[in-house]
Amino acid sequence: MMLTRRALLSNAGKGDNNPISTAVIAARGREAMIAEGNASLISPAIPSVDPDEIRISSNENPLGPGQAALKSLRGEYDQMNRYPMNARISEEIFLEDLAKMHSVKTDNIVLGPGSAEILRNSVRAFTGPEKPLVTAECSYENPVATSEQLGNPVRAVPNTPALGLDLDKMAGAAMNSGLVFLCNPNNPTGTVHGYHDISTFVRWVTKESPYTTILIDEAYHEYVTDPTYQTSINIALKYPNVFVSRTFSKAFGMAGIRVGYAIGHKETIARLRSFRLTLGNNILGIAAAVGALKDSAHINREIARNTLVKQFTLDFFRRAGYWTTNSQTNFIFVKLGIPAKKFREACAQHKVLVGRDFPPYERTHCRISIGTMDEMKHATRVFSEVLGLSVTDTGASN
Amino acid sequence: MSLSRRDFVRTVGVGAAGAWTSSLISLRTQEAMAFAQAQGLAVDGVINLANNENPLGAGKEVVDAINKLFSAPQKPAGRYPSRWNSPLTDMIAKKFNVKPENILVGAGSTQILVDVTHTFTSKEKALVGSLPTYEECFGYANLMGHKTKPVPLDRTYRMDLDQTLHACKGSGLLFYCNPNNPVSTLVAPTDTREFIPRALSATTDMHILADEAYFEYVTAPDHETLVPLAVTEPRLIVARTFSKAYGMAGLRIGYAIAHEKTIQELRKFHMGNSVSALSYVAAIAALDRDEKRPSYIPDEKRRNRKARDFALRFFRRRGYEATDSEANFIFVDIQMPVEMFQAACAKRGLRVGRPFPPLWTHCRISIGTMDEMKRAMPIFEEVLEKANTQAA
Repeated sequence: MMLTRRALLSNAGKGDNNPISTAVIAARGREAMIAEGNASLISPAIPSVDPDEIRISSNENPLGPGQAALKSLRGEYDQMNRYPMNARISEEIFLEDLAKMHSVKTDNIVLGPGSAEILRNSVRAFTGPEKPLVTAECSYENPVATSEQLGNPVRAVPNTPALGLDLDKMAGAAMNSGLVFLCNPNNPTGTVHGYHDISTFVRWVTKESPYTTILIDEAYHEYVTDPTYQTSINIALKYPNVFVSRTFSKAFGMAGIRVGYAIGHKETIARLRSFRLTLGNNILGIAAAVGALKDSAHINREIARNTLVKQFTLDFFRRAGYWTTNSQTNFIFVKLGIPAKKFREACAQHKVLVGRDFPPYERTHCRISIGTMDEMKHATRVFSEVLGLSVTDTGASN
Repeated sequence: MSLSRRDFVRTVGVGAAGAWTSSLISLRTQEAMAFAQAQGLAVDGVINLANNENPLGAGKEVVDAINKLFSAPQKPAGRYPSRWNSPLTDMIAKKFNVKPENILVGAGSTQILVDVTHTFTSKEKALVGSLPTYEECFGYANLMGHKTKPVPLDRTYRMDLDQTLHACKGSGLLFYCNPNNPVSTLVAPTDTREFIPRALSATTDMHILADEAYFEYVTAPDHETLVPLAVTEPRLIVARTFSKAYGMAGLRIGYAIAHEKTIQELRKFHMGNSVSALSYVAAIAALDRDEKRPSYIPDEKRRNRKARDFALRFFRRRGYEATDSEANFIFVDIQMPVEMFQAACAKRGLRVGRPFPPLWTHCRISIGTMDEMKRAMPIFEEVLEKANTQAA
């Protein structure tokens, strides 16, 4: 099938089209939605994606799912005609595996097609016209987009000068709010807060504003190397109003397969479950996730790979004199001193796709996802050219 | 693979959790529990006639397409799925001779049903639909505290159009499931052609959601899709799915066809990235197969009709009344409580449909393969006979 010119135009228009923008914003991988507007098909099921294109814009895992995940998924091809409740590798099996892994009960967990649905439903469940959403000014946009969709108020707290979450000011803003969104590590700044800081924050907020719910989004959990960081799952189990979201879209390489979950108290999870799209998770995603959990060695290799390539990329910018945050994720946030749009468009000329605008830093900072080492070697050469760096700039100043 | 005790506990555990607030899910859980009572049976030996699935599966072309995705150099399974939205939308548009702007793809038609119910009903603007009908819209309206107006079926278990029209006055949305699940009946095509415009002109701002999930299985010769009307009439939306004739219920993919303005309105609430890359690719492969092998879906329709006729004959010959099915399931008055029937069948390795209140002695039985239906009939015979003996 060929993509017609009419279809191309209609699709290209979608990026600027108001009605789609909420759906786009409310989903991770926003660049993917816009950049792929010109995707065409040579034949069904094979995208004619430019093989030279390097997509380091949506914090995707460049290697995709691991072999254990794929093996498990392929074993379920004969089940595609069955609804999720009839699947051989059922959601109940997945829930039990997750429960065992996190030492919780299955009713402490809610599944979703990616954590995107969980973030969205958190806002639906816990904010209201008199119960604002509290978030950092520069953080993952899904909760804000959902709040705006619902017409509920948002309190956006400016980030610290180091671009972390300003936990003290967020605690103040949390008073009588409906939901606090803590993205830790934070997308797009890559910053992380240690376990002590998070537990202090939670203790204070739950005491001073007992009707406020706190969502701690740990989408990038696996990639963190900072020793002061720990998951907040045990905090979520201690405090009824706190829950933690996770995704298989990042370290597990399954952004296309749509699996995420959240962990918290039974009552909080039950409330989230009530908003869940009926039968929202496809059976192959569940099968892949169940398989993936059995191969922790693969995830450890992926984490090590990402850390190495991230360091290479950070070194490139730091040697060239650019400030970056100490990213704990599979992307970096770098102060280029030029508008992200200008940098993005210049890189796109070289088929290197980098991150979108992140107000209020869009005039100076850019988010760049970590691809493979080969991709980043090529991308950094493109960055040098775009930024007008000489080879000595990038190599000699360390 | 046999059903282990662990599986049994898991399955029952879901029901015991009590965390599901939607009545829809708890009904579905009942099936899982009834199934669990059949523990000890080999799972592979179980005949599943409970969920109106296509017993033949998604087909080779679909499996091949998904497999290709994993060998593609850019690892698309690890990438967000949006790249597939436009190619699939274009193919659907081509199939129906409409514009891509008329299409909205969702995670099963379920997501479409939720989007439409959310957008067009409220605490004041009621959801109208038959009692019973497919539960998703009513389940969602109940969750949101939106007003509902269920309308009993007529004596032939078809939607009662006069009563429905009456209920439409001042309402927000009419759910027009045709063929209607769980009763399998079709409104006479001439009646639908006359009713839809009448309902729209009798109300000022009510929308109609025509759920055509079972369209491919309809054998009534003059039945037509409402798609051509939907793209010109902003208050009519058609929902379609790949879960039934296309055999992809586990992949969760369906779509809406409507006027461009209506699609834009639905997009305001529609959650993006809900459909997996695998599902997009599967649907693209299925529509491509339709182009290359136009007999594929008609063959499936014929296969279903043959097995359906066989099953209907079985029940009718024994004096059990069944509705006139135009779908891949039948609806039979088994003259005993459906929950007992369901449990007794489950014990014998056969799963049948959940209860659909208030029709407590009717059972919805999905159409499996002819072989499955032939194996199911002695079980039905035994269960019904035993019940009659006990009653006597």
